[in-house]
Amino acid sequence: METIINRIPGGLLTLSKEFEILSLNQRLLQLLRYDGKQLIGQSIRTILPKSSQAFFQFVFYPLLIQKNSVDELSLELMSQKGEEIPVLVYASKESAGTITCIIVPNTKRNQYENELLEAKDVAENRLIERNKVNAELKTVLKNLEEKQEEILKFNQQNFEYKMATQKELQLAKKIQETTLTKEINNPQLQIKSFYRASNELSGDIYGFYQINEHQFGIILLDVMGHGISSALITMSLETLFQRLISKGVSANIVMKELDYQLHNIVESDNDLYHYCTAIYIFIDTKKQTIEYINAGHPPAIYLDKNGRQKELKTLVPPIGLFKGIDFHSSTFSYTKGARLLLYTDGVSEPLEENRLSSLLRDSTSLSLEHLKEKLSKALRDEGNNCYKNDDQCFILIDLK
Amino acid sequence: MTQSSKTRNNVTVTGKGKQPVLFAPGFGFDKKVWATVSKSFEDEFQVILFDYVGFGNSDLKAYDEKKYSNISGYVEDLLAICSELNLENIIFIGHSVGSMIGMLASIQQPDIFSKLIMIGPSPSLLNEAPDYHGGFEKEELETLLLMMKKNYVQWTTAIAQTIMNDSNHAELEKGIEDQFRSNNPSITHEFAKVCFFTDYRERLQDVKVPTFMIHSAKDLFVPREVINYMKENIPNCTLSYSTGIGHCPHISHPEEIISLIKNYLHGQSESVIKNTGGCL
Repeated sequence: METIINRIPGGLLTLSKEFEILSLNQRLLQLLRYDGKQLIGQSIRTILPKSSQAFFQFVFYPLLIQKNSVDELSLELMSQKGEEIPVLVYASKESAGTITCIIVPNTKRNQYENELLEAKDVAENRLIERNKVNAELKTVLKNLEEKQEEILKFNQQNFEYKMATQKELQLAKKIQETTLTKEINNPQLQIKSFYRASNELSGDIYGFYQINEHQFGIILLDVMGHGISSALITMSLETLFQRLISKGVSANIVMKELDYQLHNIVESDNDLYHYCTAIYIFIDTKKQTIEYINAGHPPAIYLDKNGRQKELKTLVPPIGLFKGIDFHSSTFSYTKGARLLLYTDGVSEPLEENRLSSLLRDSTSLSLEHLKEKLSKALRDEGNNCYKNDDQCFILIDLK
Repeated sequence: MTQSSKTRNNVTVTGKGKQPVLFAPGFGFDKKVWATVSKSFEDEFQVILFDYVGFGNSDLKAYDEKKYSNISGYVEDLLAICSELNLENIIFIGHSVGSMIGMLASIQQPDIFSKLIMIGPSPSLLNEAPDYHGGFEKEELETLLLMMKKNYVQWTTAIAQTIMNDSNHAELEKGIEDQFRSNNPSITHEFAKVCFFTDYRERLQDVKVPTFMIHSAKDLFVPREVINYMKENIPNCTLSYSTGIGHCPHISHPEEIISLIKNYLHGQSESVIKNTGGCL
């Protein structure tokens, strides 16, 4: 039996209850590279590397206490030369307290197992990384969704705001248009007008008034810029000139008062700086005279029935530009059957040079209504598009 | 959402006495490890046992990788148990890392603890040349971790059997084993890392509760230098030696541990218990 024990292809080890080595077989001695009885009486620590010693205390011993036996524990032995030998240990506790261990070298399997564990670690780390990336992605996605929702909300608000503003502007446009005076047609003269805002609101404004039986005042203004602020200024000026002209205040006073009003608005805040070109025409049908003041405005065109043309050119700077200017008027006599055309630069600029005067000249046979249609058609169909985003306004007068 | 600590940590309360004795197992063990020792306290005290999350019959679903990647997660749970049971004047008995968890808890809330009893405590297992000899080099601890990984199945079989000692429900036992095998290797591994690589040395001086330490002379995890280091650094500290075997004298020599603790509690801590050597 003794020889069989020595020859079996595995280690056999017995330990006292104090874990001293009582006996070991030849095979184990060979594995550990010890001779004879060197190990007898030694603590098992002699053949265990440090980590196995710890494992022994930490796991092996409590297990043995609880179960009286231990199966298949994987640990390492240490040879006399300090080599670490992976083994599987099976142990059982005898009634006397001694412990019998079978020890199976486990080198190849151990290597395989280590590789498996390593691969498992790699896989686990990858999983952790992947989960981390996934979690980050989820956060990013969530943030994106929140942002998107916010943007949609803003867009909606923006849209609502825009719609409300649009509605307000339409209303304002109506108000602005209702302030425009009605066309005049009587035995002395006929007046027709065209008015088109580039946006909802216009910076152009006009008015014509019958002062008394034979006197008429016609004014056309173009406030710098277009849009809400320009339109509000036109409204302010309109209130003033409507009052002054209706009362028959002289041309130079009308212009001076408008100039004063504009300076007043502008002085309260620099951001409000606006100037305004204007032309005022005072017609006396009894005397057959035209008195006019052109303050920085495109020249009005006068055409008599013989085809003679005259431009009512600017002689003074625009109103609201310089303080304390005197606005001198010019006067000339007209002949019956003459025509007058007043316009803003929104009308003249898109068209070719002299196009307006040639249109006027070529249309003497046309009624005022048809001339207005012809002019507005020319504005629609001809000319340079880049000039067409300005406010457009013209006034036609037939002196009968 | 707050979960009851009692369910989460599988808390049990027994005993006829009023003063609570709270037992904290060491790494890898559940509350059944205290079976023999705790029984002897039931006549005189209120005995409280619990499992760490991930061990024993704790609620595995409560395992939170982030919370338990650090010792503070376990300390938090311990204090939650004390608070839920309204414990005061606690005698805390901990083994190994369990004693450190109790120590940290007592630093946070010294008012509810009356005594700290530590079996095989170590503030750090790692050697730090030249002045601190924790017992292990980093590589040795890593090999140990690997060895525990490899023997996981054998080890959990034993734990499962411990849990089911009182019953004969083999089927249930198998279920628990399966549960352990499928859920626990990583939990155990994480806890092992926390145990092996945390350094509590800085905290020893903050202990305000009277402390009693039991050291087995041949405890590989607690070399003599380490226990002396603790004795020097914990302000109010008594040290006693067990004849015990290695790191787990409460398993190997429960009677002796019981009498050491009771002698201390009854003011006889001076009596010398002869160190008879033990093994390994």
